[in-house]
Amino acid sequence: MSVSNLGSGRAGRRHIMSARMLANTVLPPVALAVLVIAAWWVAADAAHSTVFPAPLESITSLFDNLRLTEFDSSVIATLELLAESYLAAVVVGAIIGVLIGISKFWTDAVSPIIYAANSLPKIVLFPVFLIFLGIGEPSRVAFAFVSGVMPMLLIVLEGAAAVKLVHLKLAASLNMSYPALIRKIVLPSMVPSLATGARLTFGLTFVGLLVVEMFAGTGGLGYELLHNVTLVRLQDILGDVVLIVVISLVPTFFLRWLEGRARARFGA
Amino acid sequence: MSARGRGIPRYLRPMPKRVLGLPKIVWTIVVLIVLLGIVEGVAHSPAVTRFELVPIETMVRQAISLLGNGSFLKDALLHSSLMILVSFALASVVGILIALVMHAFGVVRRALNPFLSVYYSVPTFALYPIVVVIFGTGAVPIVITASAFAVISVTVKGLEGFDSVPVVIDKLGRSLELTGMKRVRTILLPAALPDVAAGLKLAFGYSIIAVLATEFILATQGLGWYISNEYDEFQIAGMYGAILIVAALALLANAGLGAVLRRFDWRRW
Repeated sequence: MSVSNLGSGRAGRRHIMSARMLANTVLPPVALAVLVIAAWWVAADAAHSTVFPAPLESITSLFDNLRLTEFDSSVIATLELLAESYLAAVVVGAIIGVLIGISKFWTDAVSPIIYAANSLPKIVLFPVFLIFLGIGEPSRVAFAFVSGVMPMLLIVLEGAAAVKLVHLKLAASLNMSYPALIRKIVLPSMVPSLATGARLTFGLTFVGLLVVEMFAGTGGLGYELLHNVTLVRLQDILGDVVLIVVISLVPTFFLRWLEGRARARFGA
Repeated sequence: MSARGRGIPRYLRPMPKRVLGLPKIVWTIVVLIVLLGIVEGVAHSPAVTRFELVPIETMVRQAISLLGNGSFLKDALLHSSLMILVSFALASVVGILIALVMHAFGVVRRALNPFLSVYYSVPTFALYPIVVVIFGTGAVPIVITASAFAVISVTVKGLEGFDSVPVVIDKLGRSLELTGMKRVRTILLPAALPDVAAGLKLAFGYSIIAVLATEFILATQGLGWYISNEYDEFQIAGMYGAILIVAALALLANAGLGAVLRRFDWRRW
């Protein structure tokens, strides 16, 4: 009897512990979110403004907009362009990064140029994209791709330093061929930094795409955002922002989970 | 393959000092020259007109003539520089304050942490249309958007710095009864200085990007506005000149600030 008591006591304590942990880690951010939304609501109510909407109005206007085919085609266009440019940025950045990264000499020789190029405000180059690719979708995809591929490349280049010398020595003593070396030693060592790069690149690609959509003004979510500025429809803008946050957070959580898995499996 | 290195795969040999007789730095310059040469070649090829790409020499000449143009200096260069500096200063101060509050109060930290960790996955520029509707076009929405974009990099790095205070130092501070602002001034800030400096460097880059992007999207002054306006008016040579100025400015500012901030990094020696 005493044993079973002890057991249930332990289980009970563990239960309380997890409840406390839940209260510690989940409650504060949720409370903050609720507080911010409540403050928004109260402010909107107090302002009695026709321009400044309450949270509910923004959400309803978002759902109203989602029923419009024109709005839907903007959202779908953005999602498609985002997927294309993001995948291209990750794949191209990873391949070039691995190829340059395995040579320390070429990494050192080329990375100053990539760092310098990455520190430029790339947005001012967008007119050049427009001139050569036209105001349609190609220029937007290309710009979003460039916004994403440079940070991806830099992260992969840095990650290439994570390949351990002892593993390379092992490869040499086993007389591994060059492709086998890449596949069996270099790539597995670089999986964590590839995963980190993939996560960070997503946000940067999306920012690039959204900004040029705002500028080009021919379609997409960025266009919807700026179009509503001229119409002073703040509830629509806030609804769009909510949608943008959802679009960026869902893949981010997935990529974060993937990164955790990659680190657990391949990390040092 | 030389006789000395035979049998040892290339990736195991020490990094060569030279490739084809040239050291790294020369190769960096060679790659740069090749890239510029491609631009120059395309500019001179019959495939593109002067309305698409101008030779680099023309870009430089345009940039120099812009730097002698009073209205460009005042309405574009000076205006943008001011916006960048104000946004950077605001982001730095607010960012460090948030980090201090987060460091001092566990509840605040736990409340903000999940939001900070996804902050840069969400396009902050989506905020710009909202502030434009509320405040109208002008300096205020640009500064708000740019500092909102930059502030979290300072907070994250500052927090890293505040957490890096060695336990011994913290205990010493407690035995000397250093509390409140005294503790902040004598222990937390000095310990965090190198990380804060790294955060400030990031924030400066973010401020430049955000100010130019917001000016580019919607503004009536500034470098970003100037470039988009030149594009709209088919003043392609002037546009390339202004782009060149922005590039030079960004590189110089980053290098300069990096050099200044490195002096605060006491961990390096």
